[in-house]
Formats: sequence, C-alpha cells, structure tokens
Amino acid sequence: MRRQSVAWERAAEVREAAQGWRRVGAVDEPTEHAIREAFPDPCVTPSVVWRVLTACMVAAIVLCTFGAFAVALQPRPNAFPPLMFLFGGAAIVATEVLEASPRSARRGAAGATSFLGVGFLLLGFGIFLVETLGMGFDDALDAVLLASALAWGLSGWRWGSPVFTALSAVSLFLLFGRWPYGRALWLLAGAALAGLAARRLDEASWAPSHRRSAAVLVVAGILAVYAAVNVYSLDRHLLEDLGRYGAARIVRSPSLVVLSAMATAVLPLAILGWGARSRRTFVLDTGIVLLVLSLVTLRHYVHLAPLWVVLTLAGAALVVLALSVERALHRAPGREIAGFTPDPLFADERRAQALRIVPVVAAFTAAPAVAEDKDFAAGGGKFGGGGASEKF
Amino acid sequence: MNPDVVGAIARLRAGNVLSSGQAALFDRVAHRSLVSLSLEIRALLYAGVLLLTSGVGLLVSEHHREIGPLAIAGGIALAGAACLVWVICKAPPFTWEEIPSPNVAFDYVLLLGLLLFASDLAYVEVQFTVLGPRWTYHLLVVGAVYLLAAYLWDSRTVLGLALTTLAAWRGISISLISGSLWAADAARLRANAIVLGLLYVAAAALSVSLRRKAHFEDVFANAGLLLLLGALVSGVLGEQYAWGVWLAALLVAAGLVMGLSFHRGRSLYFAQGVAAAYIGLLRLLFEPFRHRESAIPFLLAALLAVGVLALLFAAHRRMREQ
Repeated sequence: MRRQSVAWERAAEVREAAQGWRRVGAVDEPTEHAIREAFPDPCVTPSVVWRVLTACMVAAIVLCTFGAFAVALQPRPNAFPPLMFLFGGAAIVATEVLEASPRSARRGAAGATSFLGVGFLLLGFGIFLVETLGMGFDDALDAVLLASALAWGLSGWRWGSPVFTALSAVSLFLLFGRWPYGRALWLLAGAALAGLAARRLDEASWAPSHRRSAAVLVVAGILAVYAAVNVYSLDRHLLEDLGRYGAARIVRSPSLVVLSAMATAVLPLAILGWGARSRRTFVLDTGIVLLVLSLVTLRHYVHLAPLWVVLTLAGAALVVLALSVERALHRAPGREIAGFTPDPLFADERRAQALRIVPVVAAFTAAPAVAEDKDFAAGGGKFGGGGASEKF
Repeated sequence: MNPDVVGAIARLRAGNVLSSGQAALFDRVAHRSLVSLSLEIRALLYAGVLLLTSGVGLLVSEHHREIGPLAIAGGIALAGAACLVWVICKAPPFTWEEIPSPNVAFDYVLLLGLLLFASDLAYVEVQFTVLGPRWTYHLLVVGAVYLLAAYLWDSRTVLGLALTTLAAWRGISISLISGSLWAADAARLRANAIVLGLLYVAAAALSVSLRRKAHFEDVFANAGLLLLLGALVSGVLGEQYAWGVWLAALLVAAGLVMGLSFHRGRSLYFAQGVAAAYIGLLRLLFEPFRHRESAIPFLLAALLAVGVLALLFAAHRRMREQ
C-alpha cells in the first residue's frame, strides 16, 4: 500500500471512532471537531450508497466497453485473451491512478476497477491456457487457482481489500483441495494461516485494512481446519471430491472417524474459548457458527428426537441462552463480566436496527398469494409468517 | 486492540482534547478490555425465533392428524397470546415519537407472537375453510394486524413485515428477484405493485409531514420505491410492444424520485431512482439492434454510464445528506 494511503486510513480510523463517541454523547461537538482537526483526512468519503452506486456504474462502463470490443472482434480466433489482458491491465492502471488521489480513492470506483482488472487477467489467463495453449482442463484449473491465489493476495496487499484477501484464501484452499492429501493440507495450512495471521491482528505497523485482512485470514484458516476435521466432510469425502477425477480417497479407518468426531465436537468449543479469552468478537462469532454446524452434524448421525423437537428445543435454548447472558451482564457490577457488556458501546444502533429488518423480512414474509379467483384447495394452505412456507 | 485509536487517544489526552474519564473509557474499548456482545445476543435471539417457528411449523405439518386441528389451533393461539400478553405488560405507553425497546427481548418476543398468530390464522383457514375461495384475505388480516402492532409497539421490523405481507396479499413478492412481476398475469401484478408503491411512498411522506412515527419513513419509502420502480422496470423490460410507454412512465417517476430525494437529502432513494432509470434506458439502447449483433449499443450503454457517473458526482457534491 502507498504510504500516503496508509496515513489516510489511520486518520479515517480515528475519525470514525470519534464519530461513534459523538453518536452516544460521550464527547460533544467541539471535541469531535478538535479530533477531526488533529487527524485530518483529505479523502472524499461518500456513504455506502454512493460508493456502491459509483462502483456499479464504473463496472457498467468497463463491462459495456469490453462487450463492444468483444462483439467487434468476435470473428477473430484467439482474440479474447489479449483483449482481456488489455482491459485487465488498463483497469489496474486506472486503479493505481484512482487510489493515488484523495478525491477518488474512497469513492467506490477504485474498488470496481481493481476487482474487474484482476478478474479480467485471471479469466484471460484461463482462456489462454485452454484455447491457445491447448492445456487440459485440470492443469489449466490448477494454474488459474494458483494465479488467483497470488493475484488476489497481491491486490489485497496493494489496495488494502479484505475481500480480495478472502478470495485469495478461497483460491489457495481450493488448489490445496485438488492436490493429493488435500485434507491434510487444509488442516495444516489452515492452522498455520490462522496462527500466523492471528499474530498480526494488532500489529501497529500494519495499515488498518491489512489488520482486517489478517482477521479474514484467521477466519479462513479456522474454517479450513474445521472443514478438514468435520466428520460429515470426512464421511462424504467433501474435500476429496474437489480433487481431480479419480483422485485417491482417504480410506476411513474407525480410529480416524472417532478422532474426526471428537475434533468436530472439540474444535468449536476451543474456538469459543479462544474468542472469550482474547475478547475478539469475530472469533467468538466464528465459534458460534462452528458450534451450530457441529450440532447439525450430530443431529445428522444421532437421531435423539424428531426434527421438530430438535428445532423447537434448540430455538428455545437459544432464546433462553441469549436472555440469560444479557440478564447476567445487565445485573453485573458496571454492567460487565470479564470485559463483556450487553451495551452496544459506540456502535451505530439505528443503522444496525435498519439492517436487522432485511433478514427478518426475508425469512418470515408470506409467499405472494396466487390469483384471487383461483379456487381454494383444501390442503394447499401454508404455514409460517403470514401463512407461508410449510405446507400442511 | 486498535493501535491507531489507542495512539490517538493518548495524543488527544496529552493535548487535553479528551478528559481523563473519557480517555480511560475509550482506551478500554480500543484495547478490547471492554467488548460489546449486543450484536451476538440479538443474533442468538433471531436464530432462536427462526428455529422455534420452524419447529412448530414442522410439528403441525407432520402430526396435525394425530394431534387434531382444535388442539393445534388452540396450542398455537395460546403460545402466541402468551407472547403478546408479555409484550403488552412490558410495553411503554404509546406515543407518536420513537420509543426505545424496554429490553433486548422485546422485539423478538413481539415478532414470535405475531408469527405464531399468523401461523394460527393460516392453519385455521386451511382446516376450517373460514374464508373459502377468498382465502387470500387472511394475508390482508395478517398484514393489517402487523401494521397495527408496528404502530402500537413501535417496531420498524414488524412494519417491514406488514408491508411485505400486504404486498403478498396483492400477489407481489417484494424480493423482485423471485420474479412475481414477470409472471403470466404480470400486467395485473404490475398495477398492484404501482398502486401499493404509491401508497407506501405517500405513507412515508405523511409520516414525516404529520410527525406520526416519522422514523418509519425509510421503511415505507424503501418498500414503496422498490415496488413502484420495480414494477415500471419490469414493464419496460417485459413488455413486447408497449415498453415505450412504460419507459416514459419510468423516466418520469425516476426523475421525480431523484429530484425530491435530492432536495430532501435522501441518498438511498436517489440511488434507486438512478439505477431504475439506467436499467430502463438500456432497453432503449439495445432495442434497435435486437435482430443483429452490434458493438454500438454496448458503447452507448458505456457512454450512458459515464453520464450517470457525472450526475452522481455532481449530486453528491451538492446534496446535504440526512
């Protein structure tokens, strides 16, 4: 990352914190103003809506221009890879120019050009390998995944994008999955990645976006380890199926299955313990997700009760757990236990509340009614929010 | 720890910008000595409600013959009523202003109670055929109850559910991707979506101007614009012959939305207007080249996007965002 960009990011980080302090009334307006004066950020930073719309329009410009060239050059064989390299290169140059200016660095345009730039290069590379060099599909896929891991990793580092870092990690693990002993590689590489990245989470010399990328790598590493040890994944050869056609599958020995089952149970608890001890909420959240996955795995193999009982009891247990935690924290001295509080602190509650509407509406809204004049058919009714989703 | 903020707090304290009390609190948060679990608690409650309603749904669908319709209907009604009674006991007095929830569980118990009520109504309808051929009216009843509950207990989440349920009553899915506006009886659905969209937008405007739950504005307006602009866009892209009329209507509507939202500083509404107008204009650019391949419409679409980008930059510079 440019030194200038890192400095802008650091200032933005402090100003954002000050905004949170002001939002809850922990500082007054003159104090916030003084903080903004002390940490000047020359970048124009529009809200998310503007940034997304700008990114969409820039993407439309690039893709439509590419479409025009592609249609014009279509009759010529092998014209696509050079065209894609040309567009990829141009988009990357454009990103560098946009990132260098505080007026354009955070408008969303640089994000779109960088994403499309790397995307064009990778797609062009893939087509070049298959069409021009006549490489086999499996070899080409391996080469593209390797290039993808490197390209997204480099762009994540250069432009400070955690999303690119995540894409790099996904490419890397997909590549490992295709190699012999892919499961062992997922396990070892995942553990190594999580361990190494965790050491950089608070690294002061790193830019804030690089620290966020490190957090992404920690989560990617944990998920890879879990996917490698999960008993369902082992049983169904989920990772082995990523490999080339005919790749050898691990012969399941009973001891391996027992080990895997134990790891499926223990790993989420270990991650939850790590999250609680380090007070990193993203690790805690990852642990909760893994715990849910482990419980689903358990239900898959051990039928303790009918599904409706499991769902109802699990739902009730979650509600009780959440309320117990909240009540315990609420009643504790200073409303905190071991550094955890139920208060939102400096988060934007109003924005969070607005965002909460989306999943609720998506999950519980009734399915649209069919034409009104349609005859009512007994047994066709549905169950759920507003009478939808589960048929009687 | 956030080293940038930690360093800044020390510097601001040294420069007397922050008091020692302020610096101590901010430093604890930046050092992660104090961490909020608010999001996690709410996520667990949401997941709990989701699982509970799914479990009840499954129980009814699998065992309704063994349990018997009366027992099921009574059981669900009892559970829903228990939730709503708890809500009534805990709810603060009604006011037209925004009221914070009395506790973290309030919104979720309210949601659970209303979902159980809706499920019960659906079950009763299926088992006892109360409304008969007009069974879709139960969605109207559910939507109206949601709407009432949203106002009574000041819940934007329930208001969102109310608006989408009312849309469902008119046959429209608010998630336009699911394609209700592209169905066989698309013309009727589009008309419904336009009327509902206009009603919702009017409700948003009235909420603000009459100061009656003014904070509901964004829920009403976003749902309304999604329906209105979605219906017009689907008319432009879906109609074979009359698409020009739909395009004209879309451009007028999008222009109005952009103009009004610009003056009121609402960037999200402005963005919806811009996006809808751009998508609609794409048909105008591509239509003349429908039967032959040409690079020209692509170039024109790129040029149009350049124009939109210029408009966005100009609007952002001048808009006073709320």
